[in-house]
Amino acid sequence: MLIVKCPVCGAEGDETDFHAGGQAHVRRPATSDPSSVTDEEQRDYLFIRHNPKGLHFERWRCDRGCGKWFHAARDTVTMEFKAYYGITELPPADLIAQAKGPWAEYFANRLKAETKV
Amino acid sequence: MSKPHRLSTGGRFIDRTKRIHFSFDGKQLTGFAGDTVASAVHANGQRVFGRSFKYHRPRGVIGLGSEEMNALVGVGDGVRHEPNLRATQVELHEGLIAVSQNRWPSLKFDVGAINSHVSRFIPGGFYYKTFMWPQALWKHVYEPIIRRAAGLGKAPEGRDPDTYENIHVHCDVLVIGAGVAGLAAAEAAAATGAKVIIADENPRFGGLADISGGTIEGQALPDWASVKASMLADAGNVHVLNRTTVVGHWHHNFVMLFERVADHDPALLAAGVPRHRLWKVRAGQVILATGSIERPIAFANNDRPGVMLASAARGMVERYGVSPGSSGIVFTNNDDAYQTAIVLKDAGVGVRVVDSRSRAEGALPNKAREMGIAVDTGSVISAVNTSWGGLNITDVKVASYRKGQGRVIKEAKVACDFVAMSGGWNPALHLWCHNGGKIRFDDTLQTFRPDRHADAIRAVGAANGTFVLSNILEEAYAAGSAAAKAVKPEATSIAVSVPTAVQADEKPLEPIWFAPATGKYNEGNKHFIDYQNDVTAADLELAQREGYESVEHTKRYTTFGMATDQGKTSNLNGLGILSEATGKTIPEIGVTTFRPPYTPFSFGSVAGPLTKNLFLPIRRTAIYQWHLDQGAVWEPVGQWRRAYTYPKAGEDKHASIDREILCVRNKVGLLDASTLGKIEIKGPDAAEFLDRMYTNMFSTLKVGKCRYGLMMNELGFLSDDGVTVRLGDDHFLMHTTSGGADRIAAWLEEWLQTEWTHYRVFVTPVTEQWSQFAIAGPRARDVLAKLEPSFDISHEALPHMSFVEGKLGPYPIRLFRISFSGELSYEVATPSNFGLGLWKDILAAGAEFGLEAYGTEALHVLRAEKGYIVVGDETDGTTTPVDVGLDGLVSKKKADFIGKRSLEQSYLKGPDRKQLVGLLTEDPNDVLPDGAYAVRHVKDKPPMEMIGQVTSSYKSPTLGRSIAMALIQNGRSRMGETLSFPLPGGKVIRAKITDTVFYDKEGAKLNV
Amino acid sequence: MSELSYTSPLAGAAAPAGLSVSLREIPDRGMIDLRGLATDADFMAAVKSVLGVDLPTEPRTSVSWGDIKVLWLSIDQWLILSTRTKMHELLASLRGALLGIHSLAVDVSDMRVVIRIEGEGSREILMKGTSLDLLSGEYTPGTCRRMRFAEIAALLHVVEGEIFDIYVFRSYANYAWDFLLATAREPAKITLFGQQPAPV
Repeated sequence: MLIVKCPVCGAEGDETDFHAGGQAHVRRPATSDPSSVTDEEQRDYLFIRHNPKGLHFERWRCDRGCGKWFHAARDTVTMEFKAYYGITELPPADLIAQAKGPWAEYFANRLKAETKV
Repeated sequence: MSKPHRLSTGGRFIDRTKRIHFSFDGKQLTGFAGDTVASAVHANGQRVFGRSFKYHRPRGVIGLGSEEMNALVGVGDGVRHEPNLRATQVELHEGLIAVSQNRWPSLKFDVGAINSHVSRFIPGGFYYKTFMWPQALWKHVYEPIIRRAAGLGKAPEGRDPDTYENIHVHCDVLVIGAGVAGLAAAEAAAATGAKVIIADENPRFGGLADISGGTIEGQALPDWASVKASMLADAGNVHVLNRTTVVGHWHHNFVMLFERVADHDPALLAAGVPRHRLWKVRAGQVILATGSIERPIAFANNDRPGVMLASAARGMVERYGVSPGSSGIVFTNNDDAYQTAIVLKDAGVGVRVVDSRSRAEGALPNKAREMGIAVDTGSVISAVNTSWGGLNITDVKVASYRKGQGRVIKEAKVACDFVAMSGGWNPALHLWCHNGGKIRFDDTLQTFRPDRHADAIRAVGAANGTFVLSNILEEAYAAGSAAAKAVKPEATSIAVSVPTAVQADEKPLEPIWFAPATGKYNEGNKHFIDYQNDVTAADLELAQREGYESVEHTKRYTTFGMATDQGKTSNLNGLGILSEATGKTIPEIGVTTFRPPYTPFSFGSVAGPLTKNLFLPIRRTAIYQWHLDQGAVWEPVGQWRRAYTYPKAGEDKHASIDREILCVRNKVGLLDASTLGKIEIKGPDAAEFLDRMYTNMFSTLKVGKCRYGLMMNELGFLSDDGVTVRLGDDHFLMHTTSGGADRIAAWLEEWLQTEWTHYRVFVTPVTEQWSQFAIAGPRARDVLAKLEPSFDISHEALPHMSFVEGKLGPYPIRLFRISFSGELSYEVATPSNFGLGLWKDILAAGAEFGLEAYGTEALHVLRAEKGYIVVGDETDGTTTPVDVGLDGLVSKKKADFIGKRSLEQSYLKGPDRKQLVGLLTEDPNDVLPDGAYAVRHVKDKPPMEMIGQVTSSYKSPTLGRSIAMALIQNGRSRMGETLSFPLPGGKVIRAKITDTVFYDKEGAKLNV
Repeated sequence: MSELSYTSPLAGAAAPAGLSVSLREIPDRGMIDLRGLATDADFMAAVKSVLGVDLPTEPRTSVSWGDIKVLWLSIDQWLILSTRTKMHELLASLRGALLGIHSLAVDVSDMRVVIRIEGEGSREILMKGTSLDLLSGEYTPGTCRRMRFAEIAALLHVVEGEIFDIYVFRSYANYAWDFLLATAREPAKITLFGQQPAPV
């Protein structure tokens, strides 16, 4: 049973006091432009998830505390939480640098897109 | 040969002034306070405790504590009977009743022992090979036979009279095991002021200190341990737990401790003390001081009653003053077991040492020789001979041995009646491994030691492979302070100086994984590795030959290291055998996984107090007691209990449901609808937010009006529905289904917090603030009028789908003119503490109009007559609004809402979607079963092609016939078609597809 | 038409003899659930003008002002406690003061049951139901925290050292009450980290 700490209110407790909300940073394509979402984009949004061994980024909710959603970076092998960060934020830079595989790809694209804007 | 017996002196644990009466297999016996069942039964001259799992061989005590795998007994009578307890751990108390297990009809003569004589036909993997097919025989023939033959104890029947508890506790440092290492670590950790819990499975702290020899600061080990145990018990920052087994270790140092609070003392149980308590401990740091477990040696017939571990023989004499027999052999590959020889000799028991090493020159062997104990070095036991049936050892054969020797050439008979064996000591690594701890093989110790671990856990003492007393102390004190400091870096440490220890030096052991014998692997020549699962060296070798190369496969194939024992004594010996069979080293073979629990623990402790009325939280509305008083039949809806119907005297359920329905249709009924979810939603962006959440439009809803809304999930499937009212420009009150209340509130929050974070909207669930009742039926307005409304209730002022806030008599209320029955209907909500009062007033006011309460089944029939869907009945998680014919409620204007894009996916627009239709059976008296399948062609037997299923089906008293709804492929284009529904048993019901609305199609009754 | 009839969730429940602590329902507490943004100065000022005290913004704390208590529930949510009679007046004033300010104030007086547990050993009894470390220094008087209690959600408010109020949704009132009766039995009393018999 994991110990989780909410970055919003600082409450720390058993994972049963929290709600695990699956993979972080899944973009909902319809929000920005509902008319141009391709079937493939919608499929990826609904069904395609990473399953890394090692560093992973997740959504959690402080279910029995302040009720707020937040992000967490967790090592799926050691179960260690590496960082907690806001639900609208990206992970700390050092963790982005450590990300591997599809996560590394995701952050690279995301950062590139943000620089363009 | 004579039998085990009580020695005239000695026994540190027993009180010879307190005689205890108990029974074993119905025989009345006596022992002393401080005895275990194992020691007391031995003292009475008996050493057979049970029959083995597969071969039904007689078995006796092998171990001293929780490592015992043979002497499992059932303890207690009737509903308090508990099976499969280790006799070496069960403390004797007055009146204790113990029985042996897995024997029929008696211990001395067991029918199943025939297995032993045919065992050449029961090799490793026997069950897999023999009972493979046909599949059908498994359930009725094979499994019952295997279960009867190979059962462990019998579970008690009837209700458990005792109480059990759970408790959550946090500590800085948890020390597991209170032997010398654990006590030292706990002392050091506690000295820093850290909160320390120290737990040990035995009644007394000290571990094996009392049988290990040596001194600390001039004190004998057990005396030193007593002093430290008392000191820790007195300390305000330490919690000491005896009779407490740490059964498992999980992520982030979540540790489960099983405390046997009252098993040892019936007076405590009688006083109502919880029998067991499960501790859920969260520890900053864990110190594993679980000691080590002695290894048996694989020699021929090493399972005969009277063959035990050297530590067990030593403990029996020193702790309980019981001799394992009159004359024994100590069979060893190490120096430590010589202590057993010395203790036996001191107690006046005949003893001889057989040592597989070519030389035994350590301090202990030398001392043994000085005492006149014969020592045969370079020797092994090659056979154990017994009286008929294997019950009593008569002699053993001793043969000379060189390392690696495969077969014995010459052997000599030595008379004896017991054997004390020691193949060395294995650190107890189970808890280290439960949560992914890595281990490494130590060539000197010839065993595994802890290596890396992701959690804050460290092992000390024998658990860490440290066996020299002075090293143990040094390591444990250092670990204790380091652990405390790691949790509380700011703590000012009071340095505890490491005491000096003196102990006999020991020379290294030499591993012996297999002691050769003369014969082949057959009866009279079994080398047991896993006693509990009856796995022999030959079984493991056979598995290897048959290609089970992975040790995990070998484990499953042979069952070695499985079940309650979890390989405590067998693991390494098994690996040793596999190593010799394959020529690989032990680390190359790898280890099997130790799984929780370390030893079995009670279901009672897992459940704790959460049994009976606390087993499942039951949610009650404010009207619960009234429903109960009316004799309501209950329907569980989530955790709620709702009144299903209220049968009157002489009525069955069907009659009362019909009466309630007709009462609503013809007069007026009252329903407790308090369980409906209620959520207040307010903010400048509330309307736009609701447009995102619902499939239909809410921003156009006028203040004071209600609108029925549909919700989908992102997959485009229906997830909830309900009526939402606009209380103000920026303020809405949403109703959800009873089961959806919490889920939908969380759902709204999630979207607000994670997707549309710029929306300024607050969401506050208020479900339980309100008691809410439906007053439904043609006379509903008359009832309302009698209740002294503070507002105009005329149809013109308060039409269908409108809302008003005011008072009914003295009661503050919110009133919604909405209907789920098709009749004129008001839902009235009042703060819950007024709920019961208003409910009773409505009943009184309605009496003259024939008002009666109706339950959820009447509600369901009423809505089905109108073709209203229930999310969860007409939908199954793969049903879209279009499927149920509610396309009209899916907005075409809104650019985006939850689920919209998915509705466009090709697979939801395909030609053969199932669509909701009504059904009328050909015979109006036939009521289709819920879930019945429509098939394309009826055949004699399945498979038949299914084209849909019934979602709701009732007998409608309003229409005087049955009605049903169903999801049928292309249903809406098949109006008028007759479908066949084959039922189990061969009957086929035929029904015609119709519209879903069976009653008041124009909705005239709603607008009166 | 009859008089207004009031029935609290545990009306009629009495704690039996043989418990190690005292247990009772507080049947008549007024409660307001208030939502608003602590970062919105207008909101904070408007609320203070009604309550006479600043809303607590430190997580899991509460403030008292006369017969009003305000419990922090989240960064944008508070539970205001008062007498039932005063609650109506407070709610009306709050809504008045908050007109035009993004907020939501709701009467939730009937939504939860309040159970008071009082006496030495109360923390240990609560720890039979919650995984919170009530023995840590964190749970000083005034502390409030939502928690999982046995199988249900609850709000814990440390009133004084050994006096606790537990807030549970009213439908679970009997469950919470029965759980406390079961775990507060005198023979099940347990003292943690105190002096104990030596296991020798």
